Amino acid sequence: MSSDFEAYEQDFGTLTAEITNKIGRIPKLGGEEKTQLVLNVDKQLEEVRELMEQMDLEVREIPIQSRGMYQSRLKSYKGEMEKLEKDFKRSRIAYSDEVRNELLGEDAGSSESQRAHLLDNTEKLERSSRRLEAGYQIAVETEQVGQEILANLHSDREKIQRSRERLRETDANLGKSSRILTGMLRRIIQNRVLVFVLGATILLTIILAIYFNVRGH
Amino acid sequence: MDNSGKEKEAIQLMADADKKVKTSGSFLGGMFGGPHKVEEACEMYCRAANMFKMAKNWNAAGNAFCQAARIHMQLQNKHDSATSFIDAGNAFKKSDPNEAIKCLNAAVDIYTDMGRFTIAAKHHITIAEIYESELVDIEKAIAHYEQAADYYKGEESNSSANKCLLKVGAYAAQLEQYAKAIEIYEQVGSSTMDNPLLKYSAKEYFFKASLCHFIVDELNAKLAVEKYEEMFPAFSDSRECKLLKKLLDAHEEQNCEAFTEAIKEFDSISRLDQWQTTMLLRIKKTIQGDEGDLK
Repeated sequence: MSSDFEAYEQDFGTLTAEITNKIGRIPKLGGEEKTQLVLNVDKQLEEVRELMEQMDLEVREIPIQSRGMYQSRLKSYKGEMEKLEKDFKRSRIAYSDEVRNELLGEDAGSSESQRAHLLDNTEKLERSSRRLEAGYQIAVETEQVGQEILANLHSDREKIQRSRERLRETDANLGKSSRILTGMLRRIIQNRVLVFVLGATILLTIILAIYFNVRGH
Repeated sequence: MDNSGKEKEAIQLMADADKKVKTSGSFLGGMFGGPHKVEEACEMYCRAANMFKMAKNWNAAGNAFCQAARIHMQLQNKHDSATSFIDAGNAFKKSDPNEAIKCLNAAVDIYTDMGRFTIAAKHHITIAEIYESELVDIEKAIAHYEQAADYYKGEESNSSANKCLLKVGAYAAQLEQYAKAIEIYEQVGSSTMDNPLLKYSAKEYFFKASLCHFIVDELNAKLAVEKYEEMFPAFSDSRECKLLKKLLDAHEEQNCEAFTEAIKEFDSISRLDQWQTTMLLRIKKTIQGDEGDLK
């Protein structure tokens, strides 16, 4: 009798161990495997309940004196079984890291993802620093171009100033030459008037001379 | 097109003009239509030269212009003569540099005679450029650039004078006349650093002066850099100054790699031009030369 009970106890032990194991695995799996495992655990829980009933019957057949020990053991086993059932129920709706990973599409192994992160960041930094360098280069080139333009502007400024001076001089010279020309014109007119006057005088003298000659006769 | 036709016409014109000049030489021609004929001949020469230019016969065009210029001289038209010489020079530039230089020199003489120094300076620059590019006679080029710079200074166009002086300095340094180069760069640097338009270029001139100092003697370079920093505070902020300091340090320690490192870093941001690269290479050789001596 008691050996039967002990055999039942051993079976109970192995079954509960298995069930705990499986319960531990259930949250990690999903879909097909999960339903399979759930069915499995269900079956095993059924077996455990049957075992419990048989252990109960056994204990009842034991004479009342030694029943106490077995009854307490039976109570603890019952408690364990209930706990297992609760665990089982909870595990079926448990959240696990797996679900989160599936949602966010990452793979398992946090160290791998961290490494990838770091590499990504380093690459981004390098890209930014390269862009900054290029920007600096462009700024320096712009400065050089600016320098050249300023030098050109300066020399152009001097050229323009010189041209302006020359233009003023030319203007003054032109004024002078126009005055000289007017003076020349005046003198020409004077000369011509003089020539006419002289010519007229000579003509007059000749006419007078002839007139007096004729009169003298 | 009808270029060959033009050429024939041009040759005809030349012959006519020659005849005119000859006939005007005789007594009667000189009495009656002398000057008039010679002027006509001159004009015909010019037209012939232009037609040669159209036909791209530069030699003939140059010759025609030269003839015209000589006739102008005879007629005492200095301006026209000089202009014709310049035209001749331009035509010869494309075919015979030596002839071009002769014509341009004649023109420059006429201009300096008349007192037109600015335009003489401009043509000195043209001559110097021909020496630079076609005949590769750097000494003569330097001489002409210097003349041009002097004339410009005389006419108070400091900008153009500086441009010429810079070229003189660059070539002088290339020919290892470092004292001259240093003087020129310092002069230009100090005159530009006050001018608000030009002060951004001043640091480049000081940099070049320091490089020349460096080749001569390292201690000189250090003193020079300090002097420039004092004169021109903005110089110390510039990247060139930082490069110079690094180079000085590397030279002191005779450290060839640090030298090359510093130069590479500077070059990655703003390219070093040909002249600067040559100078830096010379400095680097002195480092390696010193190392060789120590060994």
